[in-house]
Amino acid sequence: MSAVAEAIAGGVLPGRVWMYSNYHCNLACAYCLTESSPHAERRELAADRMREIAVEARALGFTDLGVTGGEPFMLPWLPETLAELADVLPLVVLSNATLFPPARIERLAPLAALPAAIQVSLDHADPEPNDALRAVHNFATVVDAIPRLVERGLRVRIASTVDPDRPQSDEERTRLCELHRRLGVADEDHVVRPIVRRGRARTGGLGVDPLPGDLPAELTITCDGAFWSPFAPTVQGGRLDTDLLVTRTTQPLATPAAALLRLVQGRPPGSDADLGIR
Amino acid sequence: MTVASAAGVPLVDGDQAPLLARPYYASGDPGPIVAALAHVPEILDAAMPFISVILGPSSIVVRRKELVILRTSARLGCRFCVNAHTVVAADAGLSREELRALRGEAPLEDVFVDTTERAILRWVDAVAGAGPVASTERDALGSHLPTHEVVELTMLIGATMMLNRFCTALELPTASATAGRLDELDLR
Repeated sequence: MSAVAEAIAGGVLPGRVWMYSNYHCNLACAYCLTESSPHAERRELAADRMREIAVEARALGFTDLGVTGGEPFMLPWLPETLAELADVLPLVVLSNATLFPPARIERLAPLAALPAAIQVSLDHADPEPNDALRAVHNFATVVDAIPRLVERGLRVRIASTVDPDRPQSDEERTRLCELHRRLGVADEDHVVRPIVRRGRARTGGLGVDPLPGDLPAELTITCDGAFWSPFAPTVQGGRLDTDLLVTRTTQPLATPAAALLRLVQGRPPGSDADLGIR
Repeated sequence: MTVASAAGVPLVDGDQAPLLARPYYASGDPGPIVAALAHVPEILDAAMPFISVILGPSSIVVRRKELVILRTSARLGCRFCVNAHTVVAADAGLSREELRALRGEAPLEDVFVDTTERAILRWVDAVAGAGPVASTERDALGSHLPTHEVVELTMLIGATMMLNRFCTALELPTASATAGRLDELDLR
């Protein structure tokens, strides 16, 4: 068993490797970690590189993959690549679910037979508070897309990012859960997490300041290097944050994996979950 | 926490220090070499222990090592390293006249009379120059020092040259504390 596999089995290291497929996005959400927008630099990982990372990750003993951005579905080639990745390891891809015309959902259909999930952002049960932090008509677009994905057999998860300074009431949370069930998303596929005060959220004074122990040490590969967590390669004022950079080297994946393992060794299992940032 | 600016590259300050670099910032300003290398933390992580072993305390007395470092840095024209190691060498007990000679501001032969030290300085000049290194110089040094010290001093010259070019190319700025000491020594 490799050192990574042992660390994962022992609960020292999370099993998922994340990839930042790109940094640009069709939206410009108020709490975006990466200051993504239609005008942000793309900073893509090539499809070939993503496939290599997946294969390397499996060989090292990692158990899962994640793809995030930016909005990954800004990349026209993504659906087929996702299927190839999910053929290597179980996969979750994060999306704002605003770029799912019928033709693209058809191209995603192979994922239905693979261990893959699309994690969609939906923050509130009501359009107004949801759209205030995300985009005009975002709620309506997302609520339209999710059932169409579910209908095609795709597993959908919903991530609700909430402002800890304006916590949702019990009644709001209940209605949000009723909504996701109505859309075809099970309770175990609904995650709620706080806004993390990095990137645009920091500029806007939103969210919680994570301590290093609050962010799971999930190896995260970007075009700029390997980071501690998908919440780490953030951008503020146009500058990439390097405080949670692990290594600039990402190939071979063993290099950042070994460095990350060194960093986490000695931390007790479970110490990464204090704020529930997942 | 900030480190000296006005370098040829932005220097990484404390609040942006990558994880592997953080131990070097724990006591404050880590200096320009660390703050530049912090851009590539895995290189910093490997380079600093190497530099520490090569330039730090070893079986060779500090005086001889500083002869090598300062002379090499002067030959390669590295202002950052000359300034820093003028201070280190002074702290190691070298006289002002010795420092000036090593910096190329006075003839070495007038100051250094010890035959072993002269052989070491000739070896520096041979290794830190370009092209082949004459075996006669290596043999001369070998008649004064055991093989392991010849090997270590040769590695010290090479490592110093690497740092000289790194600091010169990136225009790393002399730390204000070093500049103050140079003023005290009248060797600015």
